[in-house]
Amino acid sequence: MKKALIVAKWEFIEKVKSKAFVISLFLTPLLIIFFSVAPTLLMQSEESETTVIGVLDFTNNYFEQLSSDLESQKLKNNTPAYLVRNLFTDKLAKDSVIVNSDLLVLNKKIDGYLIIEKTNSDSLIFNYRSKSVGNFKLTSILEKSINNIYMKQTLASRNIDTSVIDLLKNRIDINSVKIKQPGEEGESEFLTTFFSSMIFILLLMMMIIYSGQMLVRSLLEEKSNRLIEILVSSCSPNELLLGKILGLSFLGLAQIFVWVLIGIAAVGSAIVSYSSFANLPIVLFYFLLGYLFYTSLFVGIGSIVSTEQEAQQITSYLSIILVLPIVFLLSAMQNPDSTLVGFFTYVPFTLPSVMIMKANLLEISFLEHLIATLIMFISTTIVVFLSGKIFRIGILSYGKMPSLKELKFWLKE
Amino acid sequence: MLEIKNLSKYYGNIKAVDDLSFKVSPGKIFGLLGPNGAGKSTTIKTIINVIKPNDGEILFDGKPINEQFLNRIGYLPEERGLYKKSKVIDVIVYLARLKNLNYNEIISKANLWLEKLGVTELRNRKIEELSKGNQQKIQFICAVIHNPDLLILDEPFSGFDPINQQEIKNFILDFLDSGKSIILSTHQMDTAEKLCADILLLNNGKSVLQGSLQEIKQKFGGNHIRVNLNGDENILSSFSEVISYEVYSNLIDIHLTDNISPSDFLRKLVQRVSVNHFSIVEPTLEKIFIDTIKNEKSK
Repeated sequence: MKKALIVAKWEFIEKVKSKAFVISLFLTPLLIIFFSVAPTLLMQSEESETTVIGVLDFTNNYFEQLSSDLESQKLKNNTPAYLVRNLFTDKLAKDSVIVNSDLLVLNKKIDGYLIIEKTNSDSLIFNYRSKSVGNFKLTSILEKSINNIYMKQTLASRNIDTSVIDLLKNRIDINSVKIKQPGEEGESEFLTTFFSSMIFILLLMMMIIYSGQMLVRSLLEEKSNRLIEILVSSCSPNELLLGKILGLSFLGLAQIFVWVLIGIAAVGSAIVSYSSFANLPIVLFYFLLGYLFYTSLFVGIGSIVSTEQEAQQITSYLSIILVLPIVFLLSAMQNPDSTLVGFFTYVPFTLPSVMIMKANLLEISFLEHLIATLIMFISTTIVVFLSGKIFRIGILSYGKMPSLKELKFWLKE
Repeated sequence: MLEIKNLSKYYGNIKAVDDLSFKVSPGKIFGLLGPNGAGKSTTIKTIINVIKPNDGEILFDGKPINEQFLNRIGYLPEERGLYKKSKVIDVIVYLARLKNLNYNEIISKANLWLEKLGVTELRNRKIEELSKGNQQKIQFICAVIHNPDLLILDEPFSGFDPINQQEIKNFILDFLDSGKSIILSTHQMDTAEKLCADILLLNNGKSVLQGSLQEIKQKFGGNHIRVNLNGDENILSSFSEVISYEVYSNLIDIHLTDNISPSDFLRKLVQRVSVNHFSIVEPTLEKIFIDTIKNEKSK
């Protein structure tokens, strides 16, 4: 055991000192914060210029209302947000008006224009034509405005009181609230939950992949220069294995520690909302369990490679196995109570990710935590045991990677 | 004293080591010789607990080897290399810590050894910045810093220049004087011949020749002479007493039949050709090695 600690200390210190580690330590969270926060910031940031919109209203019913509606919206600096131009003229045929209007867009006279026309069956069609089709914000504003006008006109045409119409205009939104304790509310906003769970799961993945690669690489170095023989002639393979797992776990802890500090700094400077960190202890707990499980797995599997190519091959396979659950988790987010999610809660490969996600979405009972912890504990023990068997032989066999049949033989020995 | 009893190791159907027994006495160098793939490495690896044997016993001072025993072995593997990105002193400390030495002890001993080998200035350099010879020196220090009772050296001289070879040789001999056991595995027969007192020649996992070097030489003795002739050496093949001969640049080694004494042969020889040099020689270990392995093959 004493020797395992010596190995652990060495693995930890030598890796902490490496440049690659220092870079990833700070770069990873910064990148993740950037990519998760930047889009939200971009979406929320108000446009600073007035958008010029054309309207080509063949029904002659909407232009007045729409333009007054849109032009009443102001930007921060009190300039109007939209300028609405009427493009309709009865001097030209419909097709040539559209061609002219398209030209206006292409010559950047206007940002885009809305065509309103009736079909033969008397229903209405709205087309917004612009250079890009990705401006969700503008189309949603146009939709809202048009819907309001449409509703007003339809109701007014059936002689309904305008005050009633104004009442109807108010949209109803539902707030989702997570129950923490009876009578106590936890805050829950889907986007923040989504991002904070995703950030943690992504961090877990990246950390596992990164440290896994580092582990396989260092094992490869020890194997190729026969240092492994010196090590095994000084301590038992199990001590070596344990030392490596421990060393990497300390490394993981150090990484988490720095990341939490960065996270706190990010909360402090209001880049990330506090609620992203509300479940931190639970999240960190499962984070560690997952890290330990996968690290043990990597040690065993990593010990069988003996060339750089094999190392790359095997780490990329493992990375795929790691990343695949994310795809599944994306859909699981929308219904964390489903049986499928329930099933994956009990599979050690996905358990940590699912629990991290769940912790942010719903309250988890103590029993569930206990079962999850037990599952991780037992499966990690099994993995350590199997890895130990493979490791003992794997570190000393050079040349080609063993076939599955040979691996079976190793496990029996 | 290290004692190996009936050691066997199989890889599937291949017998890497087959029923091997030998003793390594303290104060002597034990030469583990054999062609490539003879089972030398496997034998060494079972001794240092890297490989578990299928059968047999390994005893040190009469007791089966255990974890404590590992702290008393020093091992220098054939293929060298240390943690490239790490500092010399850090690597030495790490490997010595694994031999149960405490930190202060390691530092003072490391300084001593670095000075002995004349590489004190490399103490805080990274391994990758060192020349190959210097890396080997550091690795040698790692193998001996804990003053092991059993030192296992696999091709210790490869990669060293003649001056460093001599230096390392002297350190190895110093070790012997303090009553330690050394196992030397090598292909360099001249080195083995100079250093080893006991020899084990392995082929296909089996012992084919075993004993003290002197005994072996006597047993293989035969009638060996070395001559330098002034004329055509092909004349030698016309003597019925000559079993075989090997021509070197200016000397010829001749293996004679047992029924003629070297002096009688010299008398016969000078009647046919002028002789510049004549001496009686023992068979070299190299010759014994080659003959034995060839014999084994022809069996």
